[in-house]
Amino acid sequence: MAFTDELHEAARHIWDAQVEHPFVAGISDGTLDRGVFERWVRQDYLYLVEFSRVFAWAAAKADRLEAMSWYAAALHLTLNTEMALHRQYAERFGIGSEQLEAERMWPTTRAYTDFLVRTAADGDMADLVAALLPCAWGYVYIAERLAASERPSDQRYADWIEQYASEEFREAADWLRSEMDRLAAAASDEKRARLTDLFVLSSTYEWRFWEMCWRGETWTV
Amino acid sequence: MSFCETQLDRLAPLWERMLSHPFLVQTRDGTIPRDTFASWMRQDYLFVEAAIPFLAALIPKGPASHWEPMTQAIGALIRELRLFEERAEAVGVEIKGTRPSFTTHAYIQFLLATAQNASYEEAYTVLYAAEKAYHDSWRMVRDGLDRTSPWWPFVENWAGPEFGAYVAYLQVELDKLAREAGPERLHRMVEAFETTVRYEVAFWEMAMTGENWPGIPSTD
Repeated sequence: MAFTDELHEAARHIWDAQVEHPFVAGISDGTLDRGVFERWVRQDYLYLVEFSRVFAWAAAKADRLEAMSWYAAALHLTLNTEMALHRQYAERFGIGSEQLEAERMWPTTRAYTDFLVRTAADGDMADLVAALLPCAWGYVYIAERLAASERPSDQRYADWIEQYASEEFREAADWLRSEMDRLAAAASDEKRARLTDLFVLSSTYEWRFWEMCWRGETWTV
Repeated sequence: MSFCETQLDRLAPLWERMLSHPFLVQTRDGTIPRDTFASWMRQDYLFVEAAIPFLAALIPKGPASHWEPMTQAIGALIRELRLFEERAEAVGVEIKGTRPSFTTHAYIQFLLATAQNASYEEAYTVLYAAEKAYHDSWRMVRDGLDRTSPWWPFVENWAGPEFGAYVAYLQVELDKLAREAGPERLHRMVEAFETTVRYEVAFWEMAMTGENWPGIPSTD
C-alpha cells in the first residue's frame, strides 16, 4: 500500500465527513444559500495568499531540480492565475477586488494558514507536503465525488465543481501524492507517524473550514 | 505616547476583559477548582515549550544587541518549564503528554508562523504583548492570593521584579523598533499586537471552559 493510501486511511472519517458536510452537499445539489457560500469566496481568497507562501517555501527547500520547478510553477499558477480566477469568480457574487483585499481572517482561517506556513518554514519537505496534501488532494477528491452526480442548476456552483474536478487539479494532486510517497519511502516509523499526524491535522482544518463557512465565525474576544 | 502606550490604551477594553477574567479572579481568590487550574498548567506548559523555538528563530533576525537578552529569555523559559514540572509534581498532576487544545494550537502556530514569515518588528511585538499580558495578569492575581497557595510560585515567577524588569526592557526596545518602522510595517505591528491580546484572552477562556477541538466525528 502506498504511503498516501495509508494517510487517506488515517483521515478517512474526516474526508467522509467533508463530502457529507452540509456546505459541500449544498454546493452539490445547489441548495446552499448564496450568502453562506460567499463566506467561502472571501475567506478562501485569504487562504490562497498564504497557500502561495507554502509553495514558495517548498521551492526553496526542494531536493531536486524537477521538484523545485514544479513548486515554482505551482506558486506562479496560484498567485497569478488561480487568484485572478478567484477574483473573477467573486465578481459573479458581486464581491469586488477591494472587498476581497479588505477581508479579515476568521479564527479558523488564521489558525489553519499559520499552521501551514509554520510547518513549511520549520519542517522538512516531507512535513510540508503532508500538511498541504489535504487541501490540494482533498479538493479534487471532493469535487470528483460531486462531479459524479447531476450538476447543480446554479452555474456558479457547477463551475466550482468543474474547476476542482478538472484534469489540471487532478494532475497536481497526483504529482504531490507521488512526491509524498517518494519522500516517505526512506522515512522511519517515527517520521511516518509524524507525517500522518500532520496530514490528519490539516484534514481536520479542512473540515473546520467548511464548518466555519457554514456557521459563520467571529473572534469571540 | 509611545507605540506600546498607544496600543495598550487602544486595547484597554480587551486588556480589562483579560484582567477581570474569571480564571484570574478565581485564582486570586483561591476558589479556582484544582482540575481547572491543572488543565491550564498542561496547556501553558505546551505554550512555554513552543516559545523556545519562537525566541530562537528571532535571534538571527534581530540586532546583535538583542542576542544576549534573547538567549537569557530562553533560559528563563527553560526554568519556567521546570517550575511547571515541580508544581505539577507537588500537587499530583500529570503535566506531560497532553494534546494541545484548539486555542493552544492556534496560538502556537501564530507564534511560529510570525517568527518565520513576518518581520522582526512584528514578532517582537507579539513577544512583548504576550509577556506584558502575563506580567499584568499575575500582578492582578498577586493582589489577593494567599502566599501558602500551591499556585503562589507562578505569581513569584511572572509578577516578580525580575520579570517586570524584562517586560520593561522589551517595551523600551519595541518602542525603538516602532519609531524606525515605516507606516506599512507599523500597521502590521498594530495588528500583531491586537491578535496576540485576543489569543491571550482566548487562552484564559479555554482554560476556564476546557474547550477542545470541536465537532469532528471521531473514530476513537
